[in-house]
Amino acid sequence: MTTLADPVIAPRRKGSTDFIQKIAIGIAILLFALAVFAPWIVPFGPLDQSLLSRLRPPLGFERFAAGHYAGTDELGRDVLSRSLYGMRLTLTLAFAGALIGLLIGGTLGLVAGLRRGWVEDGIMALVDMQIAIPFTLVALLILSLLGSNLTVLVLVLGIAGWEQYARIVRAEVRRLSALPFIEAAWTAGAGPVYIACRHVLPNLVSPLVVQFTLALSNIVILESTLSFLGLGVQPPQPSLGSMVGLGRDYMPTAPWIVLVPAALIVALTFSVQIMGDWLRDRADVRLRDR
Amino acid sequence: MIPYLIRVAVKSVVTLFAIATITFIATRLSGNPIDTFLGDGLTEEGRAELIRYFQLDGSLWQQYLAFMRGAVSGEFGLSFVDRRPVTEVVSDRLWASGQLLLASVAFTLLVAIPLGILGAIYRKSWIGSAVMMVAFAGYAVPSFILAIVMVLVFSYWLNWLPVVGNGSFAHFIMPTIAMSGVLIAALTRFTRNAMLDVLGQDFIRTARAKGLGEARVVLRHGLGNAGVTVISVIGLQVAGLAAAGSVVVESIFSWPGIGQLLVNAALVRDYPVLQFGVITVAVAVVAINALTDVSYALADPRIRLARS
Amino acid sequence: MFRLMLTTALAVLPLAATAQEITVGAANMAPYLDPGRDHSNVGSQFYYNSFDTLIDRDHTKLEPEWVPALATSWELISPTVMELKLRDGVKFHNGDPMTADDVIFSLNRMMQATFPPYVVRAKDRLANFPEAEKVDENTIRIHANREEPLWETLISLQQVMIIPEAYTKALTGDPDVAEDSDFEAFALAPVGTGPYKIESFQPGEKLVWTRFDDFWGEKAPLERVNVVQISETASRVTALKTGEADIITNIAPDQLSLIDNDPALKTAGSATALFHVMIMNQNHPKLKDPRIRQAMSLAIDRDALNEALWLGKAIVPSTHTMAEMGELHQPDLVTFEYDPERAKELLAEAGYDGFEITYDTAPSYYTNGVLAAQAIMEMWAAVGINGKIVVGDKWTGNSPDLMARNWSNPMYFADPFGSFGVMWAPDGPSQSEGRFNTDEAYAETWDRFRYSTDVAVRKAAYAELMERVKEDPAVLPLYRPFESWGMKTAINWAPMPGHIPYVLDFRAGSITLAGS
Repeated sequence: MTTLADPVIAPRRKGSTDFIQKIAIGIAILLFALAVFAPWIVPFGPLDQSLLSRLRPPLGFERFAAGHYAGTDELGRDVLSRSLYGMRLTLTLAFAGALIGLLIGGTLGLVAGLRRGWVEDGIMALVDMQIAIPFTLVALLILSLLGSNLTVLVLVLGIAGWEQYARIVRAEVRRLSALPFIEAAWTAGAGPVYIACRHVLPNLVSPLVVQFTLALSNIVILESTLSFLGLGVQPPQPSLGSMVGLGRDYMPTAPWIVLVPAALIVALTFSVQIMGDWLRDRADVRLRDR
Repeated sequence: MIPYLIRVAVKSVVTLFAIATITFIATRLSGNPIDTFLGDGLTEEGRAELIRYFQLDGSLWQQYLAFMRGAVSGEFGLSFVDRRPVTEVVSDRLWASGQLLLASVAFTLLVAIPLGILGAIYRKSWIGSAVMMVAFAGYAVPSFILAIVMVLVFSYWLNWLPVVGNGSFAHFIMPTIAMSGVLIAALTRFTRNAMLDVLGQDFIRTARAKGLGEARVVLRHGLGNAGVTVISVIGLQVAGLAAAGSVVVESIFSWPGIGQLLVNAALVRDYPVLQFGVITVAVAVVAINALTDVSYALADPRIRLARS
Repeated sequence: MFRLMLTTALAVLPLAATAQEITVGAANMAPYLDPGRDHSNVGSQFYYNSFDTLIDRDHTKLEPEWVPALATSWELISPTVMELKLRDGVKFHNGDPMTADDVIFSLNRMMQATFPPYVVRAKDRLANFPEAEKVDENTIRIHANREEPLWETLISLQQVMIIPEAYTKALTGDPDVAEDSDFEAFALAPVGTGPYKIESFQPGEKLVWTRFDDFWGEKAPLERVNVVQISETASRVTALKTGEADIITNIAPDQLSLIDNDPALKTAGSATALFHVMIMNQNHPKLKDPRIRQAMSLAIDRDALNEALWLGKAIVPSTHTMAEMGELHQPDLVTFEYDPERAKELLAEAGYDGFEITYDTAPSYYTNGVLAAQAIMEMWAAVGINGKIVVGDKWTGNSPDLMARNWSNPMYFADPFGSFGVMWAPDGPSQSEGRFNTDEAYAETWDRFRYSTDVAVRKAAYAELMERVKEDPAVLPLYRPFESWGMKTAINWAPMPGHIPYVLDFRAGSITLAGS
């Protein structure tokens, strides 16, 4: 069943890459590179304050402060430097969250697929429950109750998408188990762990890579939303969402504090999503070709 | 069919029970409301007085039993903050959220279904690509960004639209759009794909072969058949997406709804409001899920006719 | 379609303040309204319009000048007994006439409190008053345990505003008994004697005042006032611009120019009678050495914070004192200074090894609080203190792990007792939360400061207390924040120096609308 939560079912172009996809992938790679190399490229430290040059506008406006190309924020910190560091943190959290989701969901899915019976029923009931619950709301409540720190935040982001992996892995495992070569391996006396590692995992790589990429963009949105509401990354540490949230008070006077990180969030989610979509197309082609 | 219905009912009740219990545990784990929001400048005796006053002096197990007994008999207690019955506090807010949700669903249907159809019919031309771009964009722009950029442009710069509360039609415009962004994106894609599936099927080709106009084919046969899936999917997913969006949108537009209420209640540890609020939302979500399950079942003869 | 929507949108935007009706966009709306139980900065905005005390003061003046309110005269008939004559013909909003019984009920609900929230409030400021007693229909007496230097000040507290007895008792349960649930119900349907009656009240959302025509004094200048909560600063400013609000509260200095640059709008503000303070835990194992806490204070350049975050409009004090405190104002005392070199020396002497010092703050409760915290971390870093901010809504002032955090010390009434005195009394909140220690000597000094009827003795005792704070710091007042209100130019309103912080005084003479 397709649900609305599945991000994209795009036009199938049989593995070809169109113009928009090329641009989007280019942007995604550029943004990743900026995040990775942020410490070496940014002109200022993300926490360096200059109380004398607060709220200065970006290049091209009056009162521009030299070197601060995207302006400064309410403590005179460089908006561009903070945004790139913020993106670095946002992406780190997203990768960590997606990995945790992959680990939890992948393991449970594998177990559910290999072991039938009440184990499978139990795990699938958990999956159903996770789908039924509006998770953003749950995340909000957990964080406002427990208080936010990076560990709790990463765990919450990880739990956010595990059920998608579990469903994919379980379905794939069940499909594979029915195939003759696996049956043969069973008969030959191979243990479940051996079968999982030798035969199942290699076949899971490509659907999981696709799901991982799509989850990445969802987690970026979730993290930004939580941080925007003040429940995610805490000051003075910048993340893109918290910059938008804390900068909101200054939006009428100094919109750049908000617009620069907001634009980065949109660019990030947009390009990563198109990239995930493109990966899915290619994976489908490969699967079909086999 | 009957055994299936029983299974759905049991599943719903178990889910609700689990949610109520988890909420209870989460609240008690998170510290007590007196230290959290009344602690500022309290003496030791004052603190003890307030713990008695809020009936937080029993053991956790006693509190849990009291909570469950209350829940079963519909008694959820008084808010710690304003000492009103929580049922009243929550129901005041529920209608405001409900209005916004309905407005968003209506707006989503109005925009997304035509867009999805256009996307399917013109999938090979630039119109189709444009529709897909809109769909991507809706997904990529988080609702808080959509909301604050609209506020900046339409309220602050242009002074066109009001930003506070739910007093009039104009108040609905920006919150509705902000809530609908993701929904429109999702539903547009879904409609488009459902239409593509349907348009590729035999009876459509037959209809075309009979010489019916393209518009009639699409509207009569295509939409009619795709519509069933579209609507059940809305039921299944809207609740979740909307519950998430509502917190953000309600806080930005000072909308007196339940999302804002829950987050505030969590921040000040107003357990009774939080517990009842979460249960209310959970009942709504679980009910919608159950209805969706049942409607799928009714549509699917394998389930409808199954005997256990 | 779009044009149509726009026209509709414009049509429903409220027009400029229509005659005698205004809408206030408040950063916070109280969750309940009971002047006795409340001492928050949120609630204090609202009580003065709807409730009266026995004795009031001239709020246009900084120096206390007592004026009759529900009592027409008062005198001390012995050092510990005050007799007050009550005003005739006062009515409550529900139509009941005010009687001596109502007054006794209101006073004793605090002075002999049984309802826990009242107990808590009465203990810290009304502890010297065991009871109020009725003499005849027009006369009451208030008794004190000890000779009281602050009679009028304490009888004009918000906590002892007058509420109706019969109405309150009849709210729930037995109509002749004051149950806890009566007080809870009262807080949602409050009734007083002031010039505005509370027409409707939605906790945490909205309050509507309408003019009370039977008010005993000069009638209210406004027919109707709607107060709506708009928590986000940006939304409040936008609401003022779109005309949804006529007055908005709590504007940070950074937003002032934005409003002042608009010819249709203006701002009014003042340095509030409240300190944002940094508190430090004397009992944290790592902060036991007072030199470390002294260094934490000395490292903070409060004037720089003022210049940067408050555009120089806040007031940075040399000691815990305010001009509002009249004769007890002691600006010459120097308790708190900026001296980074001295801070470095003290840290070296104390053998500070670079351990992390946490500084807790609430995300939005204190205007500029998080900003100040971040700036303070940089100032600490400059003298070698390794600071870390912890942002959270949870109150951590009572946690043994607390190292430092921000807090506020409002002036609950115009006396050092009403500010420093409440918070830092022996066995007061700071001590019972375990982050502040007092000994017998401190208690003895505090007692002289609290109860001496000789102003000179009180001043000297207060100076001694400040010396103690300097030697073994538990608090550093950062500044008196500059709070501003934005409004349409047609509205003539400004905060008055004789009020406690944040009071929205809309009584006759306090607000006028041009053209009405």
